Amino acid sequence: MPNSLTSSMSTVREDKIMKRVFLSPAVIILLTLSIFPLLWSLGISFTDMQRGGSTIARQAAAAGITDGVGFLGLGFELTSRNYERLLGDGRLHSTVRNTMIYVFVGVTIQYLIGLGLATVLNQPFRGRNIVRIIFLMPMMMTPVAAAYTGRMFFDSNPLRSPLADFLRDFGKLLGLERGISVPWFTDISWAPIAILIIDAWQWIPFMTLILLAGMQAIPEDIYEAARVDGANALEIFMRVTVPILLPISMTVILIRGLEIFKIIDVVVVTTGGGPGSATESLTLYIFEQALSNGNYGYASAIAYVLLILVIIFATLFLMAGRRLAGGGRE
Amino acid sequence: MMDRRKQLPILHRKSRRPLWQSALLYAIVIFWCFIVLFPFYWLATTSVKRPIDVSRGPNYIPFIDFQPIPDHWEEMFGIQRESTERHFRNSLISAAGSTILSVIIGAMAGYGLSRFKYYWGRLGWDNDNIAFWIISQRFLPPAIFIVPFVLLYNAFHLIDTYGGLILAYTMFNIPFAVWIMRDFFNGLPVDLEESARVDGATRWQAFMRIVLPLSAPGLVAVAIFSFIFAWNEYLFALMLTNFNAITMPVLIAGQNNTRGIEWWFISALTLMAVVPVIIIGLLLERFITRGLTAGAVKG
Repeated sequence: MPNSLTSSMSTVREDKIMKRVFLSPAVIILLTLSIFPLLWSLGISFTDMQRGGSTIARQAAAAGITDGVGFLGLGFELTSRNYERLLGDGRLHSTVRNTMIYVFVGVTIQYLIGLGLATVLNQPFRGRNIVRIIFLMPMMMTPVAAAYTGRMFFDSNPLRSPLADFLRDFGKLLGLERGISVPWFTDISWAPIAILIIDAWQWIPFMTLILLAGMQAIPEDIYEAARVDGANALEIFMRVTVPILLPISMTVILIRGLEIFKIIDVVVVTTGGGPGSATESLTLYIFEQALSNGNYGYASAIAYVLLILVIIFATLFLMAGRRLAGGGRE
Repeated sequence: MMDRRKQLPILHRKSRRPLWQSALLYAIVIFWCFIVLFPFYWLATTSVKRPIDVSRGPNYIPFIDFQPIPDHWEEMFGIQRESTERHFRNSLISAAGSTILSVIIGAMAGYGLSRFKYYWGRLGWDNDNIAFWIISQRFLPPAIFIVPFVLLYNAFHLIDTYGGLILAYTMFNIPFAVWIMRDFFNGLPVDLEESARVDGATRWQAFMRIVLPLSAPGLVAVAIFSFIFAWNEYLFALMLTNFNAITMPVLIAGQNNTRGIEWWFISALTLMAVVPVIIIGLLLERFITRGLTAGAVKG
């Protein structure tokens, strides 16, 4: 007995240590590689830091020059000019607008089609497992590859692109003399649509699979009860399936929305942001400001705009979700 | 689970579904499978077309519309062999390295959050707050890390190294890894560990010998997600490498500038980058579906 008592006491002490050991690596990595850079770039956003600025300042200091080496001789000055510059930057405003379009239109399309497909896949039919596996394929493709594939399809030349070929023949079938020809990447209103389609192609299956899992978790007796009450298929879908799926729908919409805020690869590969800046996303603009132009200070300020947009989006969304969920309970 | 399986025969009342509904169902399913699969087919055929067949087409069916040639694949494994191998190896090392780290660190933190009670007094945070903070890191826009990472990596000479990429990808993968593993351990009864500890095993031994083997499905899910994320990532690979450590996505994206658009070669290269992950994904499909739904379905 005493033996087990001492062992339990040492167990308690051991647990106190182990508790920290288990969690620390993750917390340390996140603090150094996520929280610290986050705060650092907030600081940088209040400076006029340029690429190479600190090297020049160091050389100047070594040569004994103390003028013009900036704040504490670090090669930059403290300033709030970056945030003033945001207001008048027309290119920034169009990238914000483009990003918002990608997020809101993209998520809406992906959710609606994903829900539709999940409803279809929720019916029992032969080959459902194979279909589920096929659906996983686009998600596992690197977005760069998906974007190149999209470029082949959205080529307007019917000699190269099977889609242009199909649209031409389809248009002729409808009685149009030359068929339909869409200037995908050269027209400012079509180019964002092409990018939306590529992203949707990749991620609709994600929506579908998660919504399908949600539907399959709904117990059959709820449907049975609705049927006994005389509800038809549409009523059951609207009054039973959709409300029950609400929490999971909010989750997937939030996840996809936050992911689309990050879009860059598809844009780089397909249009490079053009024509003009019609398809340029915020992430791409930040990347160009930081690495092509070396404007570290301004790039950080824009990155904070993006972060604030993301936080507003997530907060409003979670609030709306809570209200909707509360309303559904009545 | 068992209940639903019992209900399946009821669901299978095929006679109740009118023929037109079945036809519509199959039409939609086949249409969408076509949408998903045709681009892969097009990549595969383009990679064996002569340039003239690519620009004077579109040619759909090999041996009928065009004569397939192995030239581009031979080029990729011949003249371009060094480049192909190097980039493939870079992708493999950085993805595998960050996967291993993410699985270990994620499992440890997930276990901690599932089995111990934490309280960060200064912030007033308990386990749920900590878990939420960790997962929220996953959704920060990566653009915000561009400038600090470039400065940090330059200072520590991590630019263009495997270590640098592995570290960055591990940081991005940890939140999801912790989230999935915590969820997994929450569903694992504590009795087995407890009895092992009564028998004198330390907490660490119980974790290594009893908990981890039981949570293999969760570990596999975390590994797949981490690997696929790192393998496919573009922005950080572009920003943190310039020659030695360039990965497949950056190589593919760069085809645009260096050689003009050689669709046939890009297609072969793309398949080279995509097929390995797709094979992994198809073999381990059930783990992926499980991982995808781990956080989402339970809310």
